[in-house]
Amino acid sequence: MKVKEPFFWVNISCGIIIMVFILLPLLEMLTAPSLSMVKETIKDKDVVRSIWLSIYTAGLAALFSFIFGTPLAYILARTNFVGKRLVESIVDLPIVIPHPVVGIAILSVAGKNHWIGEIFSDVGIRIMGSVTGIVVVLTFVGLPFYVNAVKSGFENISPRLENVSRSLGASMTSTFFRITFPLAWRSILIGIIMCSARAISEFGAVVVVAYHPMIAPVLIYERYEAYGLSYSQPVAVWLVSICLILFLVLRILTLRKGKSS
Amino acid sequence: MKKLLKLTCLLIVFACTAMAAPSSTLAEPSGKLVIFHAGSLSVPFEAMEKAFEAKYPKVDVLREAGGSQACARKISELKKPCDLMVSADFKVIDKLLIPTYANWNVRFATNQLVLCYTDKSKYANIINENNWHEILQKKDVIWGHSDPNLDPCGYRSLMVLQLAEKYYKKPGLYNAVIANRPKENIRPKSVELISLLQSGNMDYAWEYRSVAVQHKLRYISLPDDINLGNYKYDDFYSQAVVKVTGKEPGTFMDIKGDSCTYGITLVKNPPNEEAAVAFLEYLLDPKGGLKVLDDMGQPPFVPCRVSTPEMKKALPVKLQDKVEVKN
Amino acid sequence: MIEVKELFVELGDFRLDNINVAINKNEFFVLMGPTGAGKTVLLEVIAGLIPVRKGYISIGGKNATTLPPEKRGVGIVYQDYCLFPHMTVKENINFGLHYNKIKKGIAKDRFKRLVQNLNLGHLLNRLPTNLSGGENQRVSLARALMIEPLVLLLDEPLSALDHRFREEIREDLKKLHRDSDTTFLMVTHDFAEAISLADRVAVMNEGRIEQTGTTEEIFRKPCSTFVADFVGMKNLFAVKFCGTEARINYLTIDVGYSPPEGCSYIAVRPEDIVLSLKKLDSSMRNAFSGTIKGLIDRGFYYEVWIESAETIFKATITKRSLFELALSEGMNVFFSFKSTALHLF
Repeated sequence: MKVKEPFFWVNISCGIIIMVFILLPLLEMLTAPSLSMVKETIKDKDVVRSIWLSIYTAGLAALFSFIFGTPLAYILARTNFVGKRLVESIVDLPIVIPHPVVGIAILSVAGKNHWIGEIFSDVGIRIMGSVTGIVVVLTFVGLPFYVNAVKSGFENISPRLENVSRSLGASMTSTFFRITFPLAWRSILIGIIMCSARAISEFGAVVVVAYHPMIAPVLIYERYEAYGLSYSQPVAVWLVSICLILFLVLRILTLRKGKSS
Repeated sequence: MKKLLKLTCLLIVFACTAMAAPSSTLAEPSGKLVIFHAGSLSVPFEAMEKAFEAKYPKVDVLREAGGSQACARKISELKKPCDLMVSADFKVIDKLLIPTYANWNVRFATNQLVLCYTDKSKYANIINENNWHEILQKKDVIWGHSDPNLDPCGYRSLMVLQLAEKYYKKPGLYNAVIANRPKENIRPKSVELISLLQSGNMDYAWEYRSVAVQHKLRYISLPDDINLGNYKYDDFYSQAVVKVTGKEPGTFMDIKGDSCTYGITLVKNPPNEEAAVAFLEYLLDPKGGLKVLDDMGQPPFVPCRVSTPEMKKALPVKLQDKVEVKN
Repeated sequence: MIEVKELFVELGDFRLDNINVAINKNEFFVLMGPTGAGKTVLLEVIAGLIPVRKGYISIGGKNATTLPPEKRGVGIVYQDYCLFPHMTVKENINFGLHYNKIKKGIAKDRFKRLVQNLNLGHLLNRLPTNLSGGENQRVSLARALMIEPLVLLLDEPLSALDHRFREEIREDLKKLHRDSDTTFLMVTHDFAEAISLADRVAVMNEGRIEQTGTTEEIFRKPCSTFVADFVGMKNLFAVKFCGTEARINYLTIDVGYSPPEGCSYIAVRPEDIVLSLKKLDSSMRNAFSGTIKGLIDRGFYYEVWIESAETIFKATITKRSLFELALSEGMNVFFSFKSTALHLF
């Protein structure tokens, strides 16, 4: 692609348009509230609590995705079976379903009118209006991002490496933990980042299942509905800033480790 | 290349004509009509929307349901464009919209509070109008109400409980019952509680009788003394007081108990005044909107009422003979 | 050491049909065949990496048909080395020790020996990404042999290497095989490798074994037209036998003996045909004259196509001889070959 060619300039222009499209509303929102407003907001216990709740439920969702999604990603990467395409489409379903529908669906299963809900009720597990419910919703919406990222990662590791390991006497489990997993850790980390990012920003599905306890997006919306933009923007500023920092740190950690290996 | 140019010109012309909205110089009401209304009016207003659009096909009615205070704030704080505001408590219009955003307030229907449940609710087979307050205190019962700061049904639920304490002469009843209702059981709109009841996520919820009827829920009717449904008991009702958030964050206001009276107003400088007035004509007609309300278990005032003669004069001319002055 | 009986395998488009082969202890056995013949599939089946549809495999006397790979004692070295990229050379070589109980002392000695023989001493702490192809392959061999497997499978181990490394590592392989008890089973495309390394060879085609035997048998006495064609017996003719003579169209060839029942082909290697400008006065019974139809440059030698009585023979000749004889297309030449150079089947 030569620098003076029109093809090059068209590409650059589109790139710039997209950058502006993303950054302009965000910068507007970040600079709209006054500094004093922003400082006041973080002193509000409700705000701190809801941002912390957002972070920690997203983290739990990423953890569950990691535990249950990794084996599934491995199977999808390594094997071919009848119905594999169907399974892959099912994994992608949460992305396609409208968010409130996700919340409604989860509530319907969790209520006493459903046999699973009855079991939950008897055992004392509460989904509606609870942290458990929020984590269930966030895991639901975050899983596809995790599974797809990690599946890609596993696909990029030659199965021959695993074959050699087994020929040297290692069982499948040992091979996975000594060879496959260490080689895939960057994709796993990326999967965790993508899953958490998706989870932290979820609103429509969570608000149906749990209004209280309030995650940050619900708090922002409640404040917007009740008192307007100026009251809700500072919370958004804090949430976006904290998330950006968290993800930047994670990305830097992976970059540095990547270079040294 | 020429073809592409022609096509682009055609598209631009088409877009321009499409965007030129039908102006109000046309005789018949047309265009968008935005109505913010209380959640408990969702079912009757959906029916009214269909009937009205059938009568005036060029009008597109766009409804937004919500807690009445939330609706009022959309108008006053967010400056969202709106033609009509319908509140489950006419006082919300008085307190939050008049005089800056509205001039008058027509009271058009009543309601009362009931305790709703389904066959699957815990203790559904033994609950009655005498033991309901004991059942709500049981640890394994999940019951809720809507957010008093956003929805009149919310603060009305609390008022019923306060009045029950006085009526049944059981001091401490209010606190005891509330103690079994954690924050997680509060929702912004009372109609959300319905789906929680139906899916088995909640056992009991406070709702308007009209809503219970419309959704075919089982419910406990309470004595008129405490159900906020009969204006003859207004004095007894006024003993209940609930503190809710005020106009600005950090401020609060007290709301005194009063019988459930629904109010409607025309927002000042509405985007589509012609269609709005036409809708009001339909709503306030005993054979039109008021009949729909009656059919759906929500007793209307026939005729509808305004509180003062000045308010009657402030109404659009077409509507003035549809209301009477009554306090 | 390895016995395969009536093996049937189906893996997507690849199939193995009724494979029967027995490989002896400490043998250097070579598998050859065109692409897609199923050589790698057979290797991976023996390694236990591909499931068997029907049949029997035994390794070291034990029934291994359903054993998982880690319990078979079969090592594998791939064409692309497959060294663990996140481990150093030393860690790679010692990887198998974790799973095979070998006394520390013995392991240390073996490690020293392998590192010395394969000249890896200066590479021990490096990561695989920083090694050359040849170094990589040597580490790969050391890693596999560290645990002294019963069998070592090699899937075209030399084809990814530069020419100069190939000879070296070929010699390394020979030495390693000699110095250990391990049975080697190697897949290759290169005839020179097969001839120099193999004790016995099997030729595969379309999922079946066409012929098994010593290199001599395969290259000089192919038992089917496919094998003959594969090993480069370019003069392959369907003939009618008449006593001790074979007739191809209008040509009569003296075979020297009565062919056994069922033979219908003769073949002679291009290298065994002698070219001359004048008729040779020699003991070669088969001497013919013909016209040169083509001279094809094969890099280090030339292939000469001669037509005689409507039959085309292909002979090879060095470049020098070509210039000395001043051969050119259209020329008349004499060509002859011994009847002992003929292979009948």
